[in-house]
Amino acid sequence: MRTRVRAGEPSAFAELFDSYARTVYNHAFRLTADWATAEDVMAATFMEAWRLRDRVDPEGGSLRLWLLGIATNTARNQTRSNRRYRAAATAAARAETAAPDHAEEVAGRVDDRRRLAAALTALAALRRPEREVLTLCLWEGLEYTAAAEALGIPVGTVRSRLSRARAKLRRLADTELASTATGPMVRNREPVPGLGQVRGDRGTAVRPAQEGIR
Amino acid sequence: MTANPSRQSPAEWEESAQLLPLTTRELPSGRHQFHKERLMARIQQEERTATTAAAEPKARRFTMPRRAFAVPAMACALAGAVVVGASVFTSDGEGTGAADGSVLTTSVGAATTKGVPQLLDQISLAAAEVPDPKAGQYVYIESKTANSYEKVVAGGSSLAIDKLHRRQIWMSLDGTKGWLIDPAVNESPEGETLSLPDEQGNVPVATLNGPSYDYLAKLTTDPDKLLQKIYKETEGQGNSPDQEAFETIGDLLGESYPPARLYSALFKTAAKIPGVVVVEDAVDAAGRHGVAVARLDETSGERMEWIFDKKTHVFLGERSVQVREDGGDSGVIKRGTVTNTSAIMKRAIVDDIKQTPTEGG
Repeated sequence: MRTRVRAGEPSAFAELFDSYARTVYNHAFRLTADWATAEDVMAATFMEAWRLRDRVDPEGGSLRLWLLGIATNTARNQTRSNRRYRAAATAAARAETAAPDHAEEVAGRVDDRRRLAAALTALAALRRPEREVLTLCLWEGLEYTAAAEALGIPVGTVRSRLSRARAKLRRLADTELASTATGPMVRNREPVPGLGQVRGDRGTAVRPAQEGIR
Repeated sequence: MTANPSRQSPAEWEESAQLLPLTTRELPSGRHQFHKERLMARIQQEERTATTAAAEPKARRFTMPRRAFAVPAMACALAGAVVVGASVFTSDGEGTGAADGSVLTTSVGAATTKGVPQLLDQISLAAAEVPDPKAGQYVYIESKTANSYEKVVAGGSSLAIDKLHRRQIWMSLDGTKGWLIDPAVNESPEGETLSLPDEQGNVPVATLNGPSYDYLAKLTTDPDKLLQKIYKETEGQGNSPDQEAFETIGDLLGESYPPARLYSALFKTAAKIPGVVVVEDAVDAAGRHGVAVARLDETSGERMEWIFDKKTHVFLGERSVQVREDGGDSGVIKRGTVTNTSAIMKRAIVDDIKQTPTEGG
């Protein structure tokens, strides 16, 4: 597969897309909190993959890691500020839970919405670098070394970001998530402590946070 | 599971899994195929051109598809040039500001709380009557803008720059149609459409964070009510409610066309936000000196400044200056760095997209 990708074989990219579009799409959603943006990121990721094809290492296993790395970078450029991320997460969580109670909506689907809202709430409490590490290691199940490779950072940094993220989530869990189970909403208003977690948080746009209308 | 130290322990996993439920979704129906076809079309197209013009296409980095839709109506903050990390993706565009070049800096002007209400009052009185647009017309705004931001590259962070450049935006009164010419964002010099709805068929709904002219025209001009609305609708966003309120008003002052009554009201509203200061000397992106109404973001150490002409109190532009040492996630943003700046050069009503106001008019 790697050889075919490096050689720029169109069929290899078709297969790559079929195998990983969904993975990349969901990963991008966690990093942007917006499904439509996630779709853009997904599409851009595969275009980037095509462009960068000759950088693929000929040796190695699945190309999932490589794609997740590209997707993370792409998503980062979509949602450069935490302020925008939070706005999007708030809107998305609200949209998930404020959806009308369709009688025909199966219970599993309702649970899914609720879980998604809870996840967004948790992710919004993190700084972007923590969020990236967490989504790669936890959702995508990457090893620390793999996450480090995907992000281009040292393994120790992955470990420390992950442990910070966990600590924050634990705190959040104590105070927030219990209530989220019944009426989720992004309630954590506290700025996450730490140096300049939102730098120029102006001007970076994700989609307009169209609250409650999806 | 083995005791692999580079993996999380099962206990850790379970704990996190409870916090972060593993739910995934399919792409909307038809979208998988749609994007796959686009990808394949692109690959084929490049294969074809590669045979004629070798290497050239690969030099171009891919830009976001339909990126324009990611620009919230008019208000993607005046410094919208940061929009979607354009400069990272368009390293070859002319005047796009590759991720190098010199960092914009300034001396950090002294701030004082003295005279804040008086200045805001004068500014509010200086609100000029602007002609009401007619149905079918467009708001046109031309600005000069530049940004610096932290860019994470392999092995660390560095400061990336969008060089000072001209930005032109046209928006229909209801915010559903528009055009943007901004070399830091666009792939081609003609610019790109902002006309919505988006690919899911959603027509954008104007909000405080993405207001259309129609939306602004209906907004309350009662400062107390307006402030209440701002706090309510931006709840949970930004680094603090007060900073977020200040920045929201700042966004409305920049790349938008507030009716005169609202324009006045915005400053009366800003006067009610705690922590607002006056900076005696500030320079806009066009090099014009003025007096600034400002507020420090305590979390990021960045100060947002609204710059006004000292005599006429006409709004010149906005900028954000790093005031505290070592800002950004990794401290690459030094004190005195201008993280973004935007000067409003023209603000007018025109009859069509890509039409510019006649000189002097």
